[in-house]
Order: sequence, then C-alpha cells, then structure tokens
Amino acid sequence: MLVKFSKTVSKGGRFNQIYIPKNMENLIEVGDEVEVRLIKKQISLFYSKNLKKLSQFKENLIKDIFSFLNENSDINYIFIVGSFLTEKIGYNDIDVVAITDKKSENLEEAAYNKLIEKFNLKFHVLAIEENRFWHLLKSCPLTMAMFSSFICSKPIKISDERVIDKKHIRFLLMMPYDLLEIKLNSRSFFDSLRRLATIERFLKNKSLEMNAINDELKTSINDLLYKKIKNNEEIDKSSIEILRKIIKLKLNIIEKLIRNGKEQGYAGTD
Amino acid sequence: MGKSKDMQELTNLMTKALRHKIGSIVNKDEFYANKYAKDAEVIMKEAEKVLLKQNWNNYDKPKIKEQLKIKLHKELKQKDFLDNRKFDIMGEEIDKALKEFNLD
Repeated sequence: MLVKFSKTVSKGGRFNQIYIPKNMENLIEVGDEVEVRLIKKQISLFYSKNLKKLSQFKENLIKDIFSFLNENSDINYIFIVGSFLTEKIGYNDIDVVAITDKKSENLEEAAYNKLIEKFNLKFHVLAIEENRFWHLLKSCPLTMAMFSSFICSKPIKISDERVIDKKHIRFLLMMPYDLLEIKLNSRSFFDSLRRLATIERFLKNKSLEMNAINDELKTSINDLLYKKIKNNEEIDKSSIEILRKIIKLKLNIIEKLIRNGKEQGYAGTD
Repeated sequence: MGKSKDMQELTNLMTKALRHKIGSIVNKDEFYANKYAKDAEVIMKEAEKVLLKQNWNNYDKPKIKEQLKIKLHKELKQKDFLDNRKFDIMGEEIDKALKEFNLD
C-alpha cells in the first residue's frame, strides 16, 4: 500500500522535523518505515550588507535562476552581481557568477546557453573555482569591486582583507598603458579609467562600491565627456588628450602605491 | 601616410593586440580572462582599419611578419608578469593573426 503526503520541513528545537498529518496517523504509525524525498529545494536570497532590497519581480527571477542552476551539483555558490542589482531599469544584462568545486571548462557556456533558453533574457555567466575565488577576492581590485554588491544563494561572509599582488595589478594595467600610445574607441577609455579608479581605491583601502567609483570618475571628467565615453560616442583629439593626461596621472599614483606596498603585502591608507 | 609608416602602425597595433590575447591565454585562471581577450579584439579592430588603407603585396607580407615577431618578442619579454608559456604560443598566434588579415 502506497501512502503519500507532502509537507514542508520545519525548524525543531534540536532537529528539523516533518509532522505526519492528523488524518494519516492511523496509516503511518510509530515503528513504520518511511522514506523522505526532497521535491523542491527552498531558495533563499542572501544580500550583501549595503545592497537595497530588490523588487518582488527581480527577487522572484533571481530565485528561479538559483533554483534552475542549483540542479548542477558542481556549483557551490551562485552570485548575482552588477548593474541588475543597482540599476532599476538601466542594466545591461544579468551577471551570474558560479563558484565551483573544481575547474570546469564548459560550465560557463553550458550554463549560459541553458539560462538563455529557459528565461529568454540577456545573461553574462562567469564560473570560477572556489580556491581561486577566495584568493581573487583579496588580491584582485576588479573582483573585489564586482562583489561589493551581490545576492548569493547561500549565506556567505566576504572579508575586506586586501593583499597586493603586484603581478596581477600590472596585468590589469596593460590596457591603460596602451591607451597612452594608441587611439581606440571612447568606451575603452571609460573602461580603463574605471579600472584605474578601482585599482587606486583598492591600494588606498577605500570603498570599492560601484557608485563610489563612478562618482570619483565624474569628479575628474566633465559631465558631457563622461556621458560620451560611457556611451562609446566619437570624441575629438583634445578630449583624448585630456583623458590621456588623467590616465597618466592615475598610472603614476598607482605605480607609486605599488612601489611603496610590499610584494603580496597589505593595502594601506593614504 | 606612406606604406612604410602604415606598416609600422599596423605591426604596433597587432603587437599590442596579440600581447593581450596571449596574456588572456596564459593567465587563463584569471577571472577576467574573457574580458582581456575582448581587449585584444578591440585593438585588432583598430589594426584592421590600418590594414585596409594599403594594398599589401607579397614583398610586404614577410616584412610585416618579421616586424611583428621582433616587436612582440620584445613586448612579451618586458611583461614579466605574464607566464613564460607566452613564448611557446607566440609563433602560433602570429600565424593565426596574419591569416585572419590575409597577410600569410
């Protein structure tokens, strides 16, 4: 005889519990053998500390994304980061970061294709091995800035510890240095300036929240030029010269800060 | 601009683009490897504009390859933060880039 019922697991004093419904107490009795099967995992959202609560629609969408990706047992944590969390409507795509147990070559592409298929929305998927992730969270200014606001599928504590990895920072500086010599589209200047502001703030132990970084950028460039390079619009020679001067200035400051910091040392204050 | 100057500009841009591309390959563990690969694409598009300015003949092509080899080797040598595997894949990446530009 098959006797079945569905219930939600509740919190008990010592153990989590499932009660047998009253009308079934004669069907399932003390001493009977039962099997418990997970039908649907409850999805909770864990906000980073400074992130404002999202709309119900966005929360439900994120829950659906987490529930969908949770089926992959290689993923330990799922994060939503980027403009989807901070912009009401002006976001570009939904940035999903999957933290995995082991390195997986195809996970990014497979998850991306499945998400597009399921939700018909624009996604950007990054996958990273857990060990590497914890290292980058301390040593990569861009990663740290990316995780200044997030929603995670599990409770997680992200430390504010900063370690200067000179090689890594020099790797990040390649493009800003190139822009002193070559002319590319104006968005490249915007991205490089934002990269430089992030690195400088990282080395000075300042907040890496996106709004703080963007505000800093707005104070060094006039409004019109800021909008133009953000939107990748054509800019004239004199504007390029202005941008190159700012890049050069920021590179000098960063180089000085790197020289003063020890190899794999800790970031300091001004 | 003369052909010789355009050749210099072309190989300068290709050198930088290939340095970014090689960096994104050898530093594959980097979270942002794909983003750096895009940096390479942006510079390569700029190189393409210079490429289209001239009609490159069979005398120019080996010169471009030679210039590119010398410049890229020098660039990679200076970038000591990139893994040493960079030199192993340098030749292959040069060949691919030249083929894409019909300069092989």
